[in-house]
Amino acid sequence: MAAAALRPAILRHIRLSATTVTPLAAAAAAAQPHALARWLGRPMSSHADHLTHDEVVGRVLDVLKSHPKVDPSKVTPEAHFEKDLGLDSLDTVEVVMAIEEEFKLEIPDMEADKIDSLPLAIEYVANHPMAG
Amino acid sequence: MSTTAGYLARRAGQKERVRLLYRRALKDTLNWAVHRHLFYQDASDLRDKFEANRNVENLDVIDRLIDDAEAQQRNFQHPDPYIVPWAPGGTKFTRNPPPPEGIEIIYNYGKED
Repeated sequence: MAAAALRPAILRHIRLSATTVTPLAAAAAAAQPHALARWLGRPMSSHADHLTHDEVVGRVLDVLKSHPKVDPSKVTPEAHFEKDLGLDSLDTVEVVMAIEEEFKLEIPDMEADKIDSLPLAIEYVANHPMAG
Repeated sequence: MSTTAGYLARRAGQKERVRLLYRRALKDTLNWAVHRHLFYQDASDLRDKFEANRNVENLDVIDRLIDDAEAQQRNFQHPDPYIVPWAPGGTKFTRNPPPPEGIEIIYNYGKED
C-alpha cells in the first residue's frame, strides 16, 4: 500500500532520458561497430533458435577480417584461404580454430584439416546442429 | 617418375602431419593459458618454433623434426583440457537429452484434469 502511494511521488521527481545509450557504450560502438552490434544482437543463451545462413556468413567473414594477416578488403564468401587470401597452411589452422571458437564448436581434427576455404567453412558451420 | 610421385606423396603426408601437430599444439597452448592475453604470447612463440624449420628441405630431417615435436607435444599435454560442453567428455555431454519424439511432458504436476 505504502509502496503504491510512494510510486507516483517518486516518478514525479525522476527524469529519465528516452535514449538509454550511455557515453561508454556509444564510444565502444564507435570504436568497434561489428563487435558491439554482434554482442547486443546475440541472445545470451547457447541454445536459442538455430543460426540463419546470413548470420553464419557475416560472422565467419568477421573472423577472417580480424585475422592480422588477412587483408579485409579481399575477404569474400567465395575466397580460398591460401589462393585468394594469401595465408599459408599454418595460418589456415589458426583461422579454422578461430571460427571454431566463434561458434563454440569442436571440430574433429581430420575434418578441420579439410576446411581450406570460406565456402567450406560456412557450409560446415551452417550445417552443424550445435553451432551457436 | 616414380621417385617424383613418391617424393610428392611423402611431402604431402609430412605437411598433413605438421598441420595436425600445429592444431593440437595450438589447442593445448590455449588449455595451458589461464588468461586470453597470456595465450597470445604463447601462441606466437609456438608459431615461431614452427617457422624456425620452415626451410628445411631434407625429407629425413623433416621426419625426425616432426617425430620430436610430436613426442614433445605428447609429453606436455594438458591433463584436463577444455572441451566444448556438448562434446564427448564435456560437462553437458548426454545430460538432459531431449525426450524422444512423441513424448510430451506435462508440467502442471498433480493438477491434471
